[in-house]
Amino acid sequence: MTPEPMLEVRGLVKHFPLTRGILFKKKIGAVKAVDGVDFDLGSGETLGIVGESGCGKSTVAKLLMNLERPTAGLIRYKGEDITRLSGRALKAVRRNIQMVFQDPYTSLNPRMTVGDIIGEPYEIHPEAAPKGDRRRRVQELLDVVGLNPEYINRYPHQFSGGQRQRIGIARGLALRPEIIVADEPVSALDVSVQAQVVNLLDRLQSELGLSYVFIAHDLSIVRHISDRVGVMYLGRIVETGTDTEIYEHPTHPYTQALLSAAPVPDPEARAHRDRIILSGDVPSPANPPSGCRFRTRCWKARERCAVEVPLLAVPEGFAPGGGPGAHASACHFAEERHVVPNGA
Amino acid sequence: MLLQVRDLHVEFRTHDGVAKAVNGVSYEVDAGETLAVLGESGSGKSVTAQAIMGILDVPPGRITGGEILFQGRDLLQLKEDDRRKVRGAEMAMIFQDALSSLNPVLSVGEQLGEMFVVHRGMSRKDARAKAVELMDRVRIPAAKERVGQYPHQFSGGMRQRIMIAMALALEPALIIADEPTTALDVTVQAQVMDLLAELQQEYHMGLILITHDLGVVADVADRIAVMYAGRIVETAPVHDLYKAPAHPYTRGLLDSIPRLDHKGHELYAIKGLPPNLMAIPPGCAFHPRCPRAQDVCLTDEPPLYAVAEDGARESACHFWRETLRDA
Amino acid sequence: MDLAMSEAETLEKTPGGPLGTGPAGKPRSLWSDAWFQLRRNPVFLVSGLLILFLVVISIWPSLIASGDPLECHLSKAQEGPEPGHPFGYDSQGCDVYTRTVYGARASITVGVCATLGAALLGSLLGGLAGFFGGWWDALLSRIADIFFGIPVILGGLVLLSVVTSTTVWPVVGFIVLLGWPQVSRIARGSVITAKQNDYVQAARALGAGNGRMLLRHVAPNAVAPVIVVATIALGTYIALEATLSFLGVGLRPPTVSWGIDIANAAQSIRNAPHMLLWPAGALSVTVLAFIMLGDAVRDALDPKLR
Repeated sequence: MTPEPMLEVRGLVKHFPLTRGILFKKKIGAVKAVDGVDFDLGSGETLGIVGESGCGKSTVAKLLMNLERPTAGLIRYKGEDITRLSGRALKAVRRNIQMVFQDPYTSLNPRMTVGDIIGEPYEIHPEAAPKGDRRRRVQELLDVVGLNPEYINRYPHQFSGGQRQRIGIARGLALRPEIIVADEPVSALDVSVQAQVVNLLDRLQSELGLSYVFIAHDLSIVRHISDRVGVMYLGRIVETGTDTEIYEHPTHPYTQALLSAAPVPDPEARAHRDRIILSGDVPSPANPPSGCRFRTRCWKARERCAVEVPLLAVPEGFAPGGGPGAHASACHFAEERHVVPNGA
Repeated sequence: MLLQVRDLHVEFRTHDGVAKAVNGVSYEVDAGETLAVLGESGSGKSVTAQAIMGILDVPPGRITGGEILFQGRDLLQLKEDDRRKVRGAEMAMIFQDALSSLNPVLSVGEQLGEMFVVHRGMSRKDARAKAVELMDRVRIPAAKERVGQYPHQFSGGMRQRIMIAMALALEPALIIADEPTTALDVTVQAQVMDLLAELQQEYHMGLILITHDLGVVADVADRIAVMYAGRIVETAPVHDLYKAPAHPYTRGLLDSIPRLDHKGHELYAIKGLPPNLMAIPPGCAFHPRCPRAQDVCLTDEPPLYAVAEDGARESACHFWRETLRDA
Repeated sequence: MDLAMSEAETLEKTPGGPLGTGPAGKPRSLWSDAWFQLRRNPVFLVSGLLILFLVVISIWPSLIASGDPLECHLSKAQEGPEPGHPFGYDSQGCDVYTRTVYGARASITVGVCATLGAALLGSLLGGLAGFFGGWWDALLSRIADIFFGIPVILGGLVLLSVVTSTTVWPVVGFIVLLGWPQVSRIARGSVITAKQNDYVQAARALGAGNGRMLLRHVAPNAVAPVIVVATIALGTYIALEATLSFLGVGLRPPTVSWGIDIANAAQSIRNAPHMLLWPAGALSVTVLAFIMLGDAVRDALDPKLR
């Protein structure tokens, strides 16, 4: 981990109130989408956040982007808490943190040309590029993301999904941000096009020195692109570590189940793998289980799990710095289990 | 042979021209066998399935050639009335989006029972009992209590189980599952896929599994047919295909998936974009994206070459030998 | 940022390109796409030409009618057609042809002004309610509900009977008052839909203010349904004006209006049916033309049908 993190997230919480009534709203509960998340992001680093639908990973993205205000917690960008910023100060921070969206069909305004879409950041931040220079910069950006600069006057519907995602990436790069938050950036794309976009993100990172928060449900893509990985379940990070620690030495039962269920395109590797089939579904985030949130589906659960919330820390029994198994895992009964066979 | 599709052609007429969605597809499925049809969007995999089920939107779609032999009868020659009798009773389909495939204002019990009332003339009461039995079959916990609930009261995985129960209701000889687990979470995906495979064995049905995900099919399919631009480019027993693909497109797909067991460097990416179905490249449709393309690929459309002597493996590549050798 | 580009060239060489590129590969905005659709739609061509004709004669009625609609000869009352007066005379002995031609002006004026008023007011209020939400939305929706609850004819009879002006404005005002809630509901709904698109979030993430998000991103993507309801409403507003005039609370003489003429003609429908036929026919054709135009516009702007 780098000494001075770009981004520090501490105790991040987002509850969406459930209300009843039209004019006079009465609060009847809350969806605990994000419920106490901590992580750091170093300069030039990629943090992968992986989890199933409803685990709160997209809400984390929105909070990082200041598109939602957190219920509690801090997000420090270079030491400054950005969650309470507004007006000019917020606008200044936004130059440095940009986002790539999941759906290339709804993330581009169909009424605007590609040139207008990629050029819009300069209209919002006129100081970022002098007026006469903008068209050239937009064309440069198109070139950077692998599109023909002559396409500047076309409309989004004239492009395929992968090309649209490139346009979205170009828009995110326009202000030369330091951090890109990518929320499922390739999951809407065809397999053969996914690899192109992943490679593009890889290349941009090494050439522009970007830091990524890469959010996805696809475990293999997260491993491919991430330096460190956080596994989320029902609003919390349950395990975090380097890609080797998480994929080859997982200690949290949920991570193990997730890895063992991941579809692997190799029938032979699959035949040899340790399969954990979880029973049941993810509980509702409006009413999460007490104690450890995973206990309702966990084969290791005991009474302690219902009472005591496991902390995200190196578990007892693992000496800190004692091999790749010793990384933060929020489980009372953490133990290593090798679930990803070679060849997977 | 349970189902034989022979040289099927399907077109779509649109404002901008004629899109050739399926261009001479042939495949077969036997009872108790699982055929995975793999392809990206626009490959024609779903359109072929719709043509088999007889649920193609006509117009704009149009079947312009070929035959679909189901238990010896050509479905394309049947009258709509007879076709309807086949649908549901003898072949059934499972869709990707269970929520929009279920009627939100009817309880799941009523929807499951409906099949027995309409096709088997059962009484409402017996049909309800059958519905509970089916829900048990697909392992929905507390089936008896939940039979009166509505689709939105079930989770995504449970809804997909209900869809499977519905498809199984009349014990069809063939089930077509179109991306049955794509909308589900990884941990639930595995449950549903296992259930489907198990039931298929139990009922000795033919199963066509349509998907874009090479990982999902790896341990349930017996054979795989890979589609590209409305054609089958490779068919093979599942182990052979993953071990040594005989078509550069299959090879590219396999190589472009990041691995779970190690980090790897740059991913292999198939260059370019899937073809426009209104202007499919001449010769081999894959040639503009193919690392192996030669002059012959630009002009001659490759037939399906027999890769294995017994005909179990075929590849539509002029250079299948080289592809196989380098695998 | 001049980076080496490895994928770029290979990507562009792909023949055909993605679906959705026009045949000529020319850039086509959704508006020009819609216009392209409209031009090929016979319903649009017929209704469009008819409306163009109506607009022209409502501005320059003397182009096709040389007489004066107010010049009447009681001696000719209710007489049938004769040379120079193809539609005959009404109860006051005025020329039905001239009055029918001049009547277009009142109908078109009321229709266009009321539609503009209702569309502007409705989309402004509904759009803001949808965009900002919260108490402003709740309040506005309740107010719109109240106006929805007013029975049109009864409201017209009560409110307009106290008016003494002979201009079109009280009628226009009344129709706007009753018409805006319909537009505002549509505008609110389509703004809420447009607001949820990721590109609005993207603009916000870039630091765009409310004004830019609303004008640049939300409004252009929410306006199509408003245009469609407004076009269809135009036809019904014209019919409403005629109804109110027929009931004696809409336009009043000396204004020439199809509604007034229909009211007069209805009293002597047995002896002189021609008096009713022409203004009523003109009214029906006009209303129909606008509703057909609305249908055609909806077909062109609704991408789901394409």
